[in-house]
Amino acid sequence: MQRRTVLMGIAAALVAPAIVRAQGSDELRIGAPLPLTGPLAPEGQKQKRGYDLWVKEVESAGGFEIGGRRVPVRIIYSDYQSATPRAVQACDQLVTQQRVHALFSPFGSGAAKASSSIAERYRVPMIAPTASSREVYDQGFKYLFGTFTPNETLTEPLADMIMAAAPAIKRVAIFSRNDLLPLALSAEMKKSAVKRGLQVVFDEKFAIGSLDFASALTQMRSADPEWVFVGGYVNDLVQVRTQMRDLGLKPQVLTMIAGPAYEEFTQALHRAAENISSAAWWHPAVRYEGVDIFGKTENFVQKFLATYSALPDYIEASAAAAGAILQLAARKSGSLEGPALRDALASLDAMTFYGPISFGPTGQIEKLVPPVFQIQEGRPIVLAPTSIAQGDFRLGIT
Amino acid sequence: MQLAQVILNGLLLGGLYAAMAAGFSLVWGVLNIINIAQGSAVVLGSYVAYFAWRYAGLNPLLAVALAGPLLFGAGWVLQRFLIQRVIAAPVLITLVFTFGMDLILNNTMISLFTADYRKIEGVFPTVPLHFGALTLPVDRLLAAAAGIGVAFGLHFYLHRSRLGRAIVAVRMDRQTAELMGVRVEIIYATTFGLGLAMAGVAGCLLAAIFPTSPLNSAYYLHIAFVACVLGGLGSVLGAVAGGLLLGVVESLGALFVGAEYGTTVAAVVLLLMLFTRPQGLLGRAGYE
Repeated sequence: MQRRTVLMGIAAALVAPAIVRAQGSDELRIGAPLPLTGPLAPEGQKQKRGYDLWVKEVESAGGFEIGGRRVPVRIIYSDYQSATPRAVQACDQLVTQQRVHALFSPFGSGAAKASSSIAERYRVPMIAPTASSREVYDQGFKYLFGTFTPNETLTEPLADMIMAAAPAIKRVAIFSRNDLLPLALSAEMKKSAVKRGLQVVFDEKFAIGSLDFASALTQMRSADPEWVFVGGYVNDLVQVRTQMRDLGLKPQVLTMIAGPAYEEFTQALHRAAENISSAAWWHPAVRYEGVDIFGKTENFVQKFLATYSALPDYIEASAAAAGAILQLAARKSGSLEGPALRDALASLDAMTFYGPISFGPTGQIEKLVPPVFQIQEGRPIVLAPTSIAQGDFRLGIT
Repeated sequence: MQLAQVILNGLLLGGLYAAMAAGFSLVWGVLNIINIAQGSAVVLGSYVAYFAWRYAGLNPLLAVALAGPLLFGAGWVLQRFLIQRVIAAPVLITLVFTFGMDLILNNTMISLFTADYRKIEGVFPTVPLHFGALTLPVDRLLAAAAGIGVAFGLHFYLHRSRLGRAIVAVRMDRQTAELMGVRVEIIYATTFGLGLAMAGVAGCLLAAIFPTSPLNSAYYLHIAFVACVLGGLGSVLGAVAGGLLLGVVESLGALFVGAEYGTTVAAVVLLLMLFTRPQGLLGRAGYE
């Protein structure tokens, strides 16, 4: 019985890619599992807004160009309620039942890593617009492509900036959600701090879903850090910041990734968000002239603003870029077949509204320079790179 | 001083846990029902507080007066007309029944309110109180005090009022109570109603501090369960003691073992308690 099950499994695995290849191309179907509800819903909704804007743009251009024809684009969403195992199931269903031509990965490094094996198994290209950790890309997979540079490209310029603004800082506290991206970011932050001769006086993790941080923050307060770094997602970061204020914890510098780039973060915290520093892979102040459907960065920002009455952040931009990148690759390959599309993605070297796109041997984007910013007067102000800086670094938190 | 602050944090958290565990413990003690839906009932209470604040500007601590009676009514009707039908069945049946209730309630909340977090803001002063080197956030202090206050209120109600004493009598000996003229099915319905009312109250208090989402329900159920077993089954004061102990153990665990291991340490303490004193802190032996 067991042997028969194994044989059936092997047969299914062999047949599945053939089924997928046999799909028609009267429309472009993209599978997008997203955390549309649950703790990661703010992030999931952002990814969706980016995709939707891209689809709207493709539709207004008359469709998705493939091999001299224009076909409509359909993104098939699946809400995985912020539970990674459901994201993997959703990917599987999207490929085997909905027969999608490409996948946009679920949110974050953890879920992207977990579901990337599905893309690899069925040879369907997966673009991950929200996964930065090296651990996602070091699996030797050929069908996974990511639009975020590795985490140290965020922590290094941040550390440079903070050390330049406050050279007297010696003591750093690091607090992180026990999740792939926040942990990887915290590890990089620690390296960047130690490299600059700083002393890490507190280094703790909190469990996913934690609501109460009072004990850990009390301990952090006793360690008397001058610089506090917190890694987590927007709901965690809002709670941590609120409870820091409740306990009277006021370091000279407070850095948080990833959340301060979102409007919800400043809306939830009001004055408490002031002077929180952060870094992200993209900011509406960057300026690129792309060959993609959006063209100039300003054009993308204007279209986003017109559609959603809000400025885009890096997730929204990266999600829209995923679509634009797929389009550039399809134009090159002239086919929606998984392997052809994959090869076109791997050899892509083009400028987009989001920045320069070329993928390294692991599938992770290279060349992009992430900006460093700080919340000032309720808005994220770019501080680095200097070519697009909008202000100077400010010390102290409210 | 750090230790004192951590213990204080634990006590403040424990006050909320006490309110969560009191109703759960009462229902378990009197009806012999492990109410798996308790966590979702707590979340429902949080939503009552949230929407009362959102649309009427009501302080979440005052929303207790709304959520308590609402959930009492719901609990009374549920027990009287549904759970009563399976009350005499083996404990596994009632367990599965409340598990089903939990699934329905939780998924209804997800589809009505989505799983997004919602937070009550701007009600309490954000500047904490200071006592020497100790820091006391105002919202936590008020919510924890209210939690313990309501649990004590329930305790005195059970021991001082006529209906309360009937509940205690049914818990001690159902058949004798019945012979004395106590209408057991009404007592059951009232007790289940009180259990859910306490969940609703706890939900309002939690909503004053933490964001609300149906996803919190499993965590709340876990808290209620552990606090209740630590403190002693069926005893409201035991639940208070268990809640406070759990809060302090979690806080100390976070301090000494690491922030992510607070609940693990609490689980180990629970196991130790079950090995050494299975009746809990304030429970009586043979009553568990």
